[in-house]
Amino acid sequence: MGARLRILALLLMAALLAGAVWARLAYWQVFRHVQLSSQAQAQYHELVELPAVRGVIFDRNLTQLVVNTTVYSAFVSPDQIAAVDRERVATGLSGVLSVDKAKVMQTLQSNSKFAYILRRFSKAKADQLRALKLPGVGLADESQRSYLPGITSGSSLAANLLGFANFDGQGRYGLEQYYQKELGGTAGYISSYRDLANREIILGTHTHQDPVNGSNLVLSLDANVQYQAEQALMDGVKKDNAESGSVLIMDPSTGGIVAWADYPSYDANNFNHTDSALFQDNVSSYLYEPGSVMKVVTLSGAMNQGAITPDTVINDPGVLNVGGFRIYDWDHRNHGNVNYSYVLAHSLNVGAMKAMLAEGHAACYSYLKGFGLTQPSGIDVAAETSVPFPSQDQMSDSQYATTSFGQGIGLNMVQMLSAVNVIANGGRYAPPHVVERIGTTINPLLLKPQRQVITAATAQQMTTMMEGVVQNGSGWSSRVKGFQNDQAGKTGTSQIPVNGQYTLDVWASFVGFLPAKHPKFTMLVVVRKPHYPGSDQNWTLNDGYLTAAPIWQKIAQQLVVDWRITPD
Amino acid sequence: MTSTRILTRRRLGTTSAHHAPARRRRRTRGFVQVASSVAAERLHLNSFGHAYMWFGAALIAVLFYLALAAQVTQSSYDIARLQDQQRQLIAEQDQLRYQEVTLHAPAQVQQQAAQSGMQRVAPVAYVPAQAVAIDLQAPAGAVGTDGTPLWQRYLGALFNKVGGTRDVLAAGRH
Repeated sequence: MGARLRILALLLMAALLAGAVWARLAYWQVFRHVQLSSQAQAQYHELVELPAVRGVIFDRNLTQLVVNTTVYSAFVSPDQIAAVDRERVATGLSGVLSVDKAKVMQTLQSNSKFAYILRRFSKAKADQLRALKLPGVGLADESQRSYLPGITSGSSLAANLLGFANFDGQGRYGLEQYYQKELGGTAGYISSYRDLANREIILGTHTHQDPVNGSNLVLSLDANVQYQAEQALMDGVKKDNAESGSVLIMDPSTGGIVAWADYPSYDANNFNHTDSALFQDNVSSYLYEPGSVMKVVTLSGAMNQGAITPDTVINDPGVLNVGGFRIYDWDHRNHGNVNYSYVLAHSLNVGAMKAMLAEGHAACYSYLKGFGLTQPSGIDVAAETSVPFPSQDQMSDSQYATTSFGQGIGLNMVQMLSAVNVIANGGRYAPPHVVERIGTTINPLLLKPQRQVITAATAQQMTTMMEGVVQNGSGWSSRVKGFQNDQAGKTGTSQIPVNGQYTLDVWASFVGFLPAKHPKFTMLVVVRKPHYPGSDQNWTLNDGYLTAAPIWQKIAQQLVVDWRITPD
Repeated sequence: MTSTRILTRRRLGTTSAHHAPARRRRRTRGFVQVASSVAAERLHLNSFGHAYMWFGAALIAVLFYLALAAQVTQSSYDIARLQDQQRQLIAEQDQLRYQEVTLHAPAQVQQQAAQSGMQRVAPVAYVPAQAVAIDLQAPAGAVGTDGTPLWQRYLGALFNKVGGTRDVLAAGRH
C-alpha cells in the first residue's frame, strides 16, 4: 500500500511538473505567439518602401517650374567612433558642413547609437564628406523639391500658387496640396530578409511591388509673364507703401490662369525657415470688397435685362436713400443728368444703384449667380475661401444697394476676375483653372461647354463702356502705349472695414483686358492698404487709378511685347 | 488444311492468356550503389574506407556550398555598390537637370540680359488707323497729267518704232 501510494504521489508530482512546463509552453506558444513571432520577424524581415517619384510641374511653354533633386543628411553613430578618432571626425564634419565643432564633439562624446549632424544639404558637400572617409559617419539620401528662383533671393517663382512639398513628401498649400494624389503617385515596396550585418539575403524569398510615379502637371501659367507680374507688383507695392498686393491674369477664352502673383511672397525652397503667415495665398484665400469693379457686373446685368442701355440718362444728385441709409457717390457731388457710359467712366455709385433698382432684386441676384459670385469659383488650388452668399430673400435693400457698387460683399480675386472675364469672353463664363493637363489627360473643365451669362451683344456694349473708362474716365493711368483706344478697364477702390466700421485704409484695384474687341488676356490687380505719397492729406490718392492701374499698365505693356499682341 | 499440330498451337494460344505465369522483375541497383560497390571492389575498401569516402564527399559538398555562398555574398556586395553608384548618378543627374532648368528660368535670363546691357523697350507706338469708306462706284476722276519731258517721249516713241520695248517710257514715269 505504501509503495502504491508513493508511486501515485510520484506520478502526481510528475504530472504537476509536466503540466507546469506544458502550461508555460502553451503560454509562450499560443497566447504570446503573435507578439513573439512578429518580434522574431522584425529581426530578419524587412519591408523597404520604394518611394514614388513625385510628378513635376511645367508651365504652358513646358518650362519646368519644379525639379526633384537629391539632398543628403549626415548622421553619426557615436558608440562606433573610438575616442582617438573623435577630434578628426568633429573637425571633418564642422569643416565640410559648417556646423559648430563643439556641438559635434558633444554629440560624439554622448555614446549614443545615432544622431543627425545636419539634414538636407547638397550633393557637393556630400561628396566632400564621402572623400574624408570618417569612421562612424553615414550619409542618407532623400528627395527634395527645388523651385525656380523668383524676383529676389528670398522668394521663388509663383510660390503662393505652387505651394511646396514638405520633408515627408506631402504637398502643402497651392497646387502641391490640391494635386497631392496625382503628383505623389503610389509608393512600392520590397519585402526581404536581412542577415545579422543587415545585408539583404538575395536568395531569400522576397516580394517586390514597383512604385507608380506621380503624374506631371502642365499649367496654363506662363513663367515669363509670371516673373514680370511679380516684378511689377513688387515695385508697385513698394512705391505705394502698401501692405501687400496681388496680380491675377487669365486667358479670356479658356479661363486658364496665366499669372498668379503675390507680394510679399516666400522662398518655397526654404519653407522650413519661413514665417507661416506668408504661406497664405491672397489671391484665392483672401476676401476683399471689390468696390467699383463690381459696377461692370451690375450694369451688364441691367443692360442684358433690358432695364438700361449705355445711353440711358438718369439724374444723379450724388446721393440716394436706400433702405433708410443715405448712400453717396465717391465725390459727394451732384452730377445732374448723365448717361450710363458716363456712370461707368466716372464710377458713380448712385448710377449703379439705380441700374440695380431698374432691373429688380430678383434679376440682380440671378446675374450675381450667373457671374459666379454667389459660390466659390472652384479653381484647382488648395484652400479657396469664400463666404456663403445669403439667399435672395435674406438680402436687404441696403445690401442690394451696396452690392451694386461692390461694398458689403466679400469675394476672392478669382471670383471677381472670372466675373469680369465674362465680358471679355463674349458673355460666356469660362471656369477658372490652373492645370491644363494631368499626365496625358486634359483637364475636363476645358472640354465642358461654357455657360452663357449675358448675350454677346451686351458684352460688346459693356466692352465699349469699359473702353470709355480708359479713354475718358478713371482708367486713364492704365493706358498701354499703342492700345489707348483699344483696351477696356475699370478701377475699384473700397474702404476696409474693421470691427464693423469702414476705415480710411482701402483695397485699390484695377481690372481690364486688351485688345478690347479680341482680348488676349484679362488682368486684375489688387493693392491692399496703399499709402500713396501725400495720401495722409488726401486719402483719395490711394485710389485704384493711382495705385493698381499703373501696375496693370506696366505688366500689360510687357505682355504686349512678349505675346506680340497688336491692336485690332 | 489445318493440322493437328496447328490446332494444338491454337488451343495453346487461346489458353495461354489465362494461364500465363507472373513475370519476374529483376531488381536493378542504383548508379551510386553500383559505383560505390565497384569502387569498393577495385579499391579494396573496408568499412572505414567507406566512411572516409562518405566524409570526403560531404566535405567537398560543404566546400562547394561555402564557395557558392562566398560568391553570393560577393555578388550582394557588388549589387549594393552598384546600387549606391546608381543613386549617386541619379543625384548627379538631378543636379544637372536643376542647373539646366535654372539656366532658362526667367530670373536667370533677365540677369544675363542685364549683364549683357540688354533692356526691355516699349514697342513703337501703333497708329490706330481711321476707318475710311471707299466707294467703288464713284467716278475715277480726271486722268493724271503726264509730266515726262517731251524729248523723253519722242525718244521713247523712236525706240518703240525701232523694235525696242515700252520700258523706257514706263521707266520715265513716276
